[in-house]
Amino acid sequence: MRAGAPEWLSAAWIALVVFASALAPVLATSSPGQPIGEALLSPAASPPLGTDALGRDLWSRLVWGGRLSLAISLGAASLTVLLGTVAALTAAALGGWPDRAVLWVSNSMLAVPGLLLALLIAAAMGPGLPAVVLAVGLGGAPGFARLARTAFLQVREEQYVLAAQALGAGRAWISIQHLLPNASATLLSLATTHYAWAFLGTTTLAFLGLAGDPSAPEWGTMLNAGRANLPYAPWLALAPGLAISLTILSVHNLGEFLARRARR
Amino acid sequence: MVSTSDRPAPRALAALGGRLATAALTAWAAVTITFFALRLGTGDPTASLLAQGLATPAQAEALRHELGLDRPLLEQYFTFLSGLVRGDLGLSLYTGRPVLRIIAEQAPSTAELAGLGLVVAVGLGLLLGIVAAWFEGRALGRAAAGLAGLATALPVAFTGILGLLLLVGLPGSVASPVWAPIRRLALPGLVLGYASSGAIARVVQAGLSESLLRPYILAARARGVRPRARILWHALRPALPPAVSLGALEAAYLFGGTVVTETVFSRPGLGRLLVGAILQGDFPIAQGLVVLAAIVYTASHFAADALAMTIDPRLRGQI
Repeated sequence: MRAGAPEWLSAAWIALVVFASALAPVLATSSPGQPIGEALLSPAASPPLGTDALGRDLWSRLVWGGRLSLAISLGAASLTVLLGTVAALTAAALGGWPDRAVLWVSNSMLAVPGLLLALLIAAAMGPGLPAVVLAVGLGGAPGFARLARTAFLQVREEQYVLAAQALGAGRAWISIQHLLPNASATLLSLATTHYAWAFLGTTTLAFLGLAGDPSAPEWGTMLNAGRANLPYAPWLALAPGLAISLTILSVHNLGEFLARRARR
Repeated sequence: MVSTSDRPAPRALAALGGRLATAALTAWAAVTITFFALRLGTGDPTASLLAQGLATPAQAEALRHELGLDRPLLEQYFTFLSGLVRGDLGLSLYTGRPVLRIIAEQAPSTAELAGLGLVVAVGLGLLLGIVAAWFEGRALGRAAAGLAGLATALPVAFTGILGLLLLVGLPGSVASPVWAPIRRLALPGLVLGYASSGAIARVVQAGLSESLLRPYILAARARGVRPRARILWHALRPALPPAVSLGALEAAYLFGGTVVTETVFSRPGLGRLLVGAILQGDFPIAQGLVVLAAIVYTASHFAADALAMTIDPRLRGQI
């Protein structure tokens, strides 16, 4: 299974975003929080991208915003993958009632859409970045756990697991030595698609204003702020909106590619 | 005379009863989790009133007493449950009005949006799915599949902004009354429905592609049935049940999508009520909305199951 043009384009965009976020202090031409001139300057009047409603440099805010958006979504996705993998591995290795418990908990959490679950957690913790990370991270865990469990169960049926059991290997040994490495291709594709979900979730919650500070350079927050001047300065909403959409599409694309490759 | 209880209950009814019991149990679990998550998380909901200088410490203490927050947690839980059964969701911290009445005022706006969204989602989903399967491998088919894929991946916040920009580009002023109904309902409904159409299109396409290979399609072709009739009647019908039950589930998920759509288009409704309540710390409203949503979700899951069992009798044996 070879990567085609869509996969390469997706990888290139993600590389660009990661690169720009890592080098934000160098690439940004001014501070993302301080006004540099008149408000709502068009990209033509003030290179590279003009200014927002408070006269802040849009380019610098985009670059720093990518850094914040990536950090939040990575935090949330890590939580999802960690919780989901531990729960699924426990379920697949032990079977019996732990398996049923994991399945019941994730199924009942999946009965409520992720966004509502995230909103419940945001309501419980109050708005802010920790709430966004925890809400999206926890919200993604049940779906990840269920799919990862299926992947582990498939590996458990393999002959070499039976052979290891016959040789007297314990459950912990089989989990670490056989289940985890042999399911890793599927886990990687699952983690990638869940990262796309986490990015969508965190930027959406930020868009709704639940990330706390409304002046923070974060793509979802910027998208919401751009709404106010849509008729006069559409680029203020288009730039962060396009950045969010391209990132989600790219990660999604790569995730599907990895999934096809994991199935061989 | 033989008592009716000696006869075995019909299997379909037993299966339906089983689902109903599960749904009730899930709804109760969701309500319980919501209650305790909010109590243990926010700590003191009156703290935000104090912090904003909207209440003196003495008033906050009186409010805590009035809300029953100074009583044991378990007692509060049972008070809440008995209130819920009687349709009493408490009072808003800010306006002091009954939460249920506030929700009832905002509900029609959301129902209108979600209803239109569902119609668009099903219509567009069927269209994209059929076109993608009919013209599989050709440019038109790939375009339909691509549009369906974009629908699931693009954030509603961004498609909403694109829609608004399109409206700005239309002839005449945005403020002109000609565009008012489009701006108020049609565009939000279209944006919301498009987001949900992707999943439906995918199921329809997969079902159609599979059933087009079945022998009965070959048989229909041998009998001289026209291609159009073959696809739209013979192949689509068996592909519909999964799409129907997915559509019922999407109806529930649409209420989640309305949260974002209402914010994008600055439309009143339950979604904005919830976000506003979370931002303000108006804890009884947030609690009431989440609890009601959990009940609606479990109810629609049950409805989707019942619908699937009606369409496909084979499902009735599985409890």
